[in-house]
Parts: sequence; C-alpha cells; structure tokens
Amino acid sequence: MSPVTAPVVQARRLAAGVFSVWIRQAGLAQKSKPGQFLNVRVLDGLDALLRRPISIADKQGDRLRLVFRTVGRGTEWLSRRRAGDSLDILGPLGRPAPTPTGKDVFLVGGGIGAAPLLFLCRRLAARNRLQVFLGARDKGHLILRREFRDTGSPVRIATDDGSAGQRGMVTELAEPVVKQARSPVVYACGPKPMLAELSRCLDPIPVLGFVEERMGCGTGICYCCALERKAGGYIRFCQDGPVVLLNEVKL
Amino acid sequence: MNYEVTIGSTTFANPVLAASGTFGFGTQLAAVANRLGGVVTKAITLAPRQGNPPPRICEFPGGIINSVGLENPGLERFRTDVLPVVRRLKCRVVVNVAGFTPDEFRELVTGLNDDRVDAIELNVSCPNVNEGGAIFGQRPEMVEDITRGVRNATPKTLVVKLTANFVDPAETAKAAEAAGADAVTVINTLFGMAMDESGQPFLGARTGGISGPALKPFALYCVDRVASAVRIPVIGCGGIMSGKDAQDFLSAGARMVQVGTASLANPRAALAVWQQLQARCRLECVKAWDEVIGRARR
Repeated sequence: MSPVTAPVVQARRLAAGVFSVWIRQAGLAQKSKPGQFLNVRVLDGLDALLRRPISIADKQGDRLRLVFRTVGRGTEWLSRRRAGDSLDILGPLGRPAPTPTGKDVFLVGGGIGAAPLLFLCRRLAARNRLQVFLGARDKGHLILRREFRDTGSPVRIATDDGSAGQRGMVTELAEPVVKQARSPVVYACGPKPMLAELSRCLDPIPVLGFVEERMGCGTGICYCCALERKAGGYIRFCQDGPVVLLNEVKL
Repeated sequence: MNYEVTIGSTTFANPVLAASGTFGFGTQLAAVANRLGGVVTKAITLAPRQGNPPPRICEFPGGIINSVGLENPGLERFRTDVLPVVRRLKCRVVVNVAGFTPDEFRELVTGLNDDRVDAIELNVSCPNVNEGGAIFGQRPEMVEDITRGVRNATPKTLVVKLTANFVDPAETAKAAEAAGADAVTVINTLFGMAMDESGQPFLGARTGGISGPALKPFALYCVDRVASAVRIPVIGCGGIMSGKDAQDFLSAGARMVQVGTASLANPRAALAVWQQLQARCRLECVKAWDEVIGRARR
C-alpha cells in the first residue's frame, strides 16, 4: 500500500467550519467503497506527523469528494487547499460498510455525519427503498441536502431551532418511521451522543454506525484507534470499522 | 557491496528493521516487510492483554506520544493464529516479548522455540505498563537477571531493548552483555505526557511514550554512548525518518537500525529508509558496513 498524489479539482465551504474538496485520482476512486476513509497528509514537514482520516462523501467517475469539519490545525490546513493543489493520500482504508440485509434502508446523519452517508446513499439508491434523515443545529449547518435529494430518495430534516424541517432531534424524526418498517436496516453517522441515543431508542433494531476515533496509522499496524466493546476489550476500528454495530460498542 | 549484517547467529539481508509496535506482526504490510532486513513484531505477553483505554495516541510538533499498553493476543494465540501468517513472510522475524517477571520472560521464550522465529527481542523498556517494562529496564541487575534466565532457555539470537528513562543505557547494556545478550536495541520511547484543553491528561492512560524525529538527537547520543561501552552490536532506534538518519545511527556505532514512528505516517517508510541508505552508501563508494559503523568515534 503506497500513498498517492491527488490533485484538488474543486474546493469550497459548505457551512461554517465545513468544507468540501473534490480530488481526482482514478486508482483511488476505483477502489473506494462507501464506509471507507482516506488518510490525508496535512501541513508541511514534521509539524503534523500523522495523517488525518477523512471519510469519503461521494464518488463521480475518477473523482472523490471529501467533506470535513475543521477541528484543528491539520483540517484547517486542508480547508485552505484550492483547485490545482495536490494532496498526499493513503487509501482507501477501513472496511466498506456491510451491504444491507433488507430492502428498507434508513440513513440517519447528524451534522457532518451526513458526509459518508451520501456515498452510501448513491450506492444503495438503485436497489433499495431508502429514506434519509438529516439533522443539524440550524439551517446554516445543514449540508448535502440537495445531493441527497438528487439521488431520488425522500429526505427529512430536523434542526435544533426549527429553522429548517422539524424542530428537534433527528433521532426523534427517524424513530417512529424506522419502527414501522418490517425489516429495517439503519446506517447512522454523527456525534457520539446522537449515535448512542439512536441505538437506544431503536433497540433491538441494530444500527450500523460510522464512528470516529483518534487514529494513528490507519493501516492496522499501531493499535492506537481503540474502540471499547461492550463484551470487553477493544476493536481496532481502522481494521474492523469504521462502520460498527452500535449495540456492540461503548460510545 | 554485501549488504548483509549478522547479529548472534542470525544474518539479515540488510540493516533496516521495522521497530516493535509500529508494524503490527508484519503481516499487514508483507510487501514492505519482505524487502527489509526484518520485522520486529508487536510485543507478546504470556496472557492476552486488551491494552490501555483510548485515546492512545497524540501528536506534537516533531513526534507522537503513544500509550497502547501492550495490547496483544498472548503467547498461545500468537502461536495458533499469528505465527501461521507470519510464516509466509520472506524476511527475518524478530519476536518482541514482554514479561512481568523474569520467569515469564523465560516461559515466553521457551514457547517461541519455532523455526520461523529468527530472533527474540526482550522488552524491558515499555513505558506504558505499571509493572515490568521500563521499571525492569531501569535496574541493571534486573536486566542482567532477565537476560541470563532467557539466555539459558534459548539458543536463539537474543536482543535486549533498552530504555533511557532515568537510567544510563550504557549501564544496562553492560548488564545485558554480561548475561549473554547478542545485541541491544537503543532506545525505546521516552516517558511523555500531554494535556487536553481542560488541563487533564490527554491520553487515556495519563502518560505515554514519546517517539518520532524529536527523539533522534537523544537516541543518537545514547547509541554513541552505548556503542563505546559494550562489544556486542547496537541496534539504533529513535526518530529515523530518512536514509541520512539511518546512516547517522550507523556512524554513531549502530550495526542495524529500526524504523518506527515513520511507518505510521507512511507504511513504506522503512523501505524508503533502506533505499535511501543504500543510495547514500553507493554515492560514498562504501564497500563494507564496517567503514560506516562507528566512524564518528574514529
């Protein structure tokens, strides 16, 4: 596995602190599947030794889209990339999201968590009955709504302040709908409290969650990205994730 | 030029190894491993260990701090589950072992009496466990005790990985040599700590071990110091990112080097280090490793 160079073909801001970067890299794009992530080199020299894991939000031909939130110097550097710049990327890493076991698929995204679900939505739209639930703080923080709608799937919105869609939590919006389905398959991505609440309120319906944790190598060699299992011990989620059954892990 | 190096009874195709804990068991990156002198596995303990609570890693300018805490499947599952995969590697395999008593070290080494295990590295320097580890490595008499016990239990090439945390590694290196070690690895990570925004320890285990380029000048100093104190070969380790870094360690007196943290940033880093080292030696018309090893002290 070798890092590759990928030119940025488009970069823009989606919301406060949220950015979208399209890269062109045929090899990477061909191999990438929903649920996987790219490990991106940031900053120059030895200032940031470790790469930054960024989930893949979309794919179009030989292009991949990264949608990320700035959380520190590394992601801020990444947010300043412009078309024509190049990125040093290792990937795709992680296990692809498992394919759904039933026809009724629900995608529940909170905030930046909408990003990896979009790639999955595109992949599943043709063969499944999909329903998308997106939550955000307010209308300004809602991302990728149009892209989800373009897949032809119904999209329902919840915001904390009611400035778009229903006022309240996205989990409250999704719960009754998911529970009506005969054999629902639920994928979710968002802040840990949201994932925990969704897993709790939908129990015993299993939720496949895209989780995030501090990571070292991304290739399974350093054992740093430990996610605690309810049954004891840890999973190395760069290998066994990032998509995990939420009722099996401690969030 | 013949790139081979020999330590104890083991000949390595070249002097670059992947350091313990930064390359798994070598099986994820076999294509890289196969072109190195060898791989030092993640540490094996007698019983399985689940490791420390996360976060287990943090970054600072020039390096990282980790506190994995020796997560590993334990000796038995290493033999049944890991060793069959390790068998497919085409490079030398050095198994790193960590015991919590001298007896455990002996038991581990006895349990690794397998043809595919080319050499043993004794971990008396892990900073991330509450007993054993660096505590052993801080006491020359303990290093001697453990090494002697293991020496009597295995004919395999024996390397002792030393710490420089609150101890002069020249003293522990002499102890390892006296007890029959074939080589010493200098150095393991240094104790380190980081705080989060609220002033609490960032790492789940509170403290960790510092590695990466920030460590290199100190590691180089330690190698120079140890190489002038013992006759057995020294394996240099600490912040090697390039062929120049590797060559610096050879110049200071190391016979081999280990590449660690660099592999986390780039899985091909150890191979790149070897290729760059080779290129440098060609450019300097080096005909034998002995021309380079320890030249800083000649």
